[in-house]
Amino acid sequence: MSSVLYKNVVKNFGALNVLRSLDLAVPDHKFLALLGPSGCGKTTALRVLAGLDMPTSGKVFIGERDVTRLQPRDRDIAMVFQSYALYPQMTVAENIGYPLWIRGTPEAGRKAKIGEVAAILEIGHLLDRRPRQLSGGQRQRVALARAIVRDPAAFLMDEPLSNLDARLRLTMRGEIKRLCQRLSATTIYVTHDQVEALTMADLVAVMHGGELQQMAPPIDIYDRPANRFVATFVGNPPMNILPAAPGEQGVMVGRNIVPLEQTRLAACRQAGIVEIGLRPEDCGVAQPGEPGALPGEIYVVEPMGNETLVNVCLEGGNVSVRAGRDFRGAVGESIGVAFDPANACFFNAAGLTAVHRVNSNGRDK
Amino acid sequence: MHGAAQARKYRLQGAGLDLALPYLMLAPGLTIVLGVLVYPLWDGLRASTKAYRYGSPVGDIGLQNYVRLWSDVQFLNSLWVTVKFVALSVSFEAVLGFALALFCLREFQGIRLLRTVLIIPMVVTPVVVAIVFRLIYASDAGMLTALSQAMGGGAVQILGNPVNAFVGLVVLDVWEWTPLMFLILLAGLQSLPHEPFEAARVDGAGAWRVFADLTFPMMRPVLAVAIVLRTIDAFGTFDQVFVLTRGGPGEATRLISIYGYDTAFKFQQTGYAAALFVTIGLVVLALAFSAIRLLRRVDAS
Ligand SMILES: Nc1ncnc2c1ncn2[C@@H]1O[C@H](COP(=O)(O)OP(=O)(O)OP(=O)(O)O)[C@@H](O)[C@H]1O
Ligand SMILES: [Mg+2]
Repeated sequence: MSSVLYKNVVKNFGALNVLRSLDLAVPDHKFLALLGPSGCGKTTALRVLAGLDMPTSGKVFIGERDVTRLQPRDRDIAMVFQSYALYPQMTVAENIGYPLWIRGTPEAGRKAKIGEVAAILEIGHLLDRRPRQLSGGQRQRVALARAIVRDPAAFLMDEPLSNLDARLRLTMRGEIKRLCQRLSATTIYVTHDQVEALTMADLVAVMHGGELQQMAPPIDIYDRPANRFVATFVGNPPMNILPAAPGEQGVMVGRNIVPLEQTRLAACRQAGIVEIGLRPEDCGVAQPGEPGALPGEIYVVEPMGNETLVNVCLEGGNVSVRAGRDFRGAVGESIGVAFDPANACFFNAAGLTAVHRVNSNGRDK
Repeated sequence: MHGAAQARKYRLQGAGLDLALPYLMLAPGLTIVLGVLVYPLWDGLRASTKAYRYGSPVGDIGLQNYVRLWSDVQFLNSLWVTVKFVALSVSFEAVLGFALALFCLREFQGIRLLRTVLIIPMVVTPVVVAIVFRLIYASDAGMLTALSQAMGGGAVQILGNPVNAFVGLVVLDVWEWTPLMFLILLAGLQSLPHEPFEAARVDGAGAWRVFADLTFPMMRPVLAVAIVLRTIDAFGTFDQVFVLTRGGPGEATRLISIYGYDTAFKFQQTGYAAALFVTIGLVVLALAFSAIRLLRRVDAS
């Protein structure tokens, strides 16, 4: 296993600028999730690392080796494609054993290894079948097996779960995480599903428009987003954003004052913040007119079973609030939105997070 | 009720018309097909059981024409020449066509033009091709002779020499029909999925292994279809040989089609020629069927 490093990687397709100076370092043995909306360049970044696409400029390192100009086969990586890319005319066993066969591993060793990974992924009974005789989930496991049959410098996975149904995705999510921990493999896992990224990865790199927005452990991505994009992209329902401005005793949200302690208020003032960000679960419903709560009226109520999502129309816009499972309310009813200002974060005019929330892990900016 | 009965009647009429309409519309086409395709076939079959003298039938002789074929040295020789010709031409066309298709799969400047140029021979009328090749091969004023003389050599004997004439014929066929192979195989290659090839490169396969382990196995069905098509077609080669050599020198390039033509129109043995062509038809049919069965087995395993 080895670390992986992108250094100023730029990739253009003709006039289209897909990666703009990507810098990314994945430490050895870490599971990195590359998260971003569709079309942001995740697959391109992975293909550049695999050697399937050449970067327009910049360098890629695997371990200490500059692999930028190497052929894919000389990079010592294993890749799971979004569409699995199994070899249609080979059996499952031949598919899994192909990377070994190419390297001239003797038959006996190959068989043993195929049996071993097939057992790990519970596809031992499928070894004689061909890919077209498999279900999506089984194909996915075969693709994984083909990747882990060797001990490469890094695993690359491109949305391997996106073709599976919701249930299977849930199970496979856990399985892949377990597998990668067990192999202690450097893994780059591309996904546009934030839940996958947060639950599986040691590190999450959020991309947008061909640029890296933030790379951090999942909890920090969630609690200390570097900017407005990360804040709203991660989290479901997304973080509430309301226009805000620093005032005398606190931050003004519309005509309401959100009281802040002096140091944070000073930081807000200095940064010239323009927006406040609040996670739905940090908000609660309150009686209308309760002091400190923002007044508004119910826009829509969505009971989820374990909780109720209440969308409230406030002065500066709508916010989602996570309420208890037995919340009852009618559309148009007056209501208050209460929250602890310590949980709020603030964005400046450039969309960067100027002041983070206070309480998580006791850290502050 | 009067109204309801009326409605049902219309509905029934409508249904009847709906059912008959497809057949009505097929009828003219079907009639033509029956007249043009089936009747001559039937007539040929009948002719093959008759003896002819000076081009007129003189009586039924059952299957005697068919029996006679297998002791006719000229027929057996023409069969052998045809098999050699088909096997050689089609093999070269397959290999060349595959290589060209692989080459033209890549994207580079001028690739569209190259692809277009490569299929031109296929669309030239066969007789014209043959005339052009005559001009190339002719020993007195042909281009090859001119070339050889320019380099200080003598006249090049192609059409006068049995071996050279046969090779020359194969070259002509390869020139004309490699494009068809190329076209079919290129379409096949372009329809293959991309990802397995990328996966193989990542898994460590070099260009040769990618070809041997992925491209070729995935292309086998297409290749087989192309070869079967070309083989059937090559068995019927006539116009090029007719223009180029008429089967000579001696019997060196006398394909079955030429022998059959001679039998029918030179020697006026219409019945015997009919039997010959029916036999060849059956042979080709059997060949095609077994090829397709083989293909299915390869595909299923
Ligand atoms: N071969 C190519 N030629 C031209 N443009 C391309 C090519 N490959 C990708 N692009 C463009 O680059 C951008 C990024 O593509 P990429 O496949 O990396 O997105 P992605 O983040 O993987 O998206 P998704 O989540 O939908 O898979 C897209 O706008 C796409 O249209
Ligand atoms: Mg993608």
